[in-house]
Amino acid sequence: MKNVVLINASPKISGPSLSNYLVTLLANQFDLASICLSVINIRQSITKRLTLDDFTKLKEADAVVIVFPLYFYCTPGILMRFLEDYQRFIMEQGSLSNQTKVYTIINCGFPEPERNREAVRVIASFCKHVKAHFRFGVLIGGGGMLLETKNAGFMKKTIQALHNSFLTIANDIQNNEFETIENIDISVKFPKILFRFIGGLNWISLARKNGLKKKDLYRQPYR
Amino acid sequence: MKTTIITDKDYQTELFQKLQERLVAFFKDKNFEIEAINVGRDDLAYCMGCFGCWVKKPGECVIDDLMTKINRDYMNSDIVIYLSPIIFGQFSANIKNAIDRSLPNTSLPFFITRPDGSTIHPPRYDKYPQPIIIGYGEQLDTEDRQLFIDITEKHRKNIPALIYQNDDQALIDALNTIALGKVGEHQ
Repeated sequence: MKNVVLINASPKISGPSLSNYLVTLLANQFDLASICLSVINIRQSITKRLTLDDFTKLKEADAVVIVFPLYFYCTPGILMRFLEDYQRFIMEQGSLSNQTKVYTIINCGFPEPERNREAVRVIASFCKHVKAHFRFGVLIGGGGMLLETKNAGFMKKTIQALHNSFLTIANDIQNNEFETIENIDISVKFPKILFRFIGGLNWISLARKNGLKKKDLYRQPYR
Repeated sequence: MKTTIITDKDYQTELFQKLQERLVAFFKDKNFEIEAINVGRDDLAYCMGCFGCWVKKPGECVIDDLMTKINRDYMNSDIVIYLSPIIFGQFSANIKNAIDRSLPNTSLPFFITRPDGSTIHPPRYDKYPQPIIIGYGEQLDTEDRQLFIDITEKHRKNIPALIYQNDDQALIDALNTIALGKVGEHQ
């Protein structure tokens, strides 16, 4: 039975999280009769001081999937803390395995999935340093929109593409081969000009709920 | 003229000490006032992805810790230097936390189009300090070095990313190519 760990690396404390949705969607791809599945939420892991238990789970895993939002074109600081500390843990343990397969699923707010490319390389580098076997990444553009409109008709193709990519991960975990699989880009099929316009309206609407006017969004407190 | 140097408290190696000394000497020689801010594991909360800096307290982080001072100092400097150990080809966790939580300074929530057709958030301010990213590490392979540069230079304009591995002259030469004063947006 394969031992699979899904890492939800969303920095969010509360509220809807796309990473959480993606982890749930991915978890549903596995046949639980043949997979032992665990999910680690890194914010919980760090704040509740569960990292030692979680690091042990990672060390014993056959496959790990790291799911996170893009922050400034690479991984969020909270994920770096987890990965840095894991590297220290694994070095202290002195027993590295190069058989653990690692995948990543990264989403960014911009519509262009290729903006996630360097973050995939960071996960590949992490694998190199802890002697795990990096497989491939799923790069998602338009992440902010995906969560709110996942049931809309125009999202059908995108959701199908997500399912297909997650199935590719699940199948790759089940086999013992290391054949090359390229990164998978997934974007929201929606005109960019409308994406930008509706995105802007959405931010104004959120600000109004907090008692702010549109002009308040432009404040320059440190000028 | 003021230079703020943001450093990682957890990676103050000999190489780092040497790098910082060279930088301080370089900017003192040019009559810059220098402020070094050391960031450690317990100094900054992690960004919580709440976007409060866009829609609750625009331009300010809703978490009140050392980052409040860093964000204010950032905008009141002419040069801001991030000195980061290179970990997995990226910034260390401490430095990345400081970068994640600079969002209230760097961007507005809206989207605009760049000349290459890609999407970006517009800057909050018209003028910014010149940011300089300097990564350091004793043993770095080619991919980690290149990745560290690509993370910044492929995606953001007007931000030079340098790597220091004990070559003082290369560092000074690189710094001498940078205009040392406030610049426009660096999205």
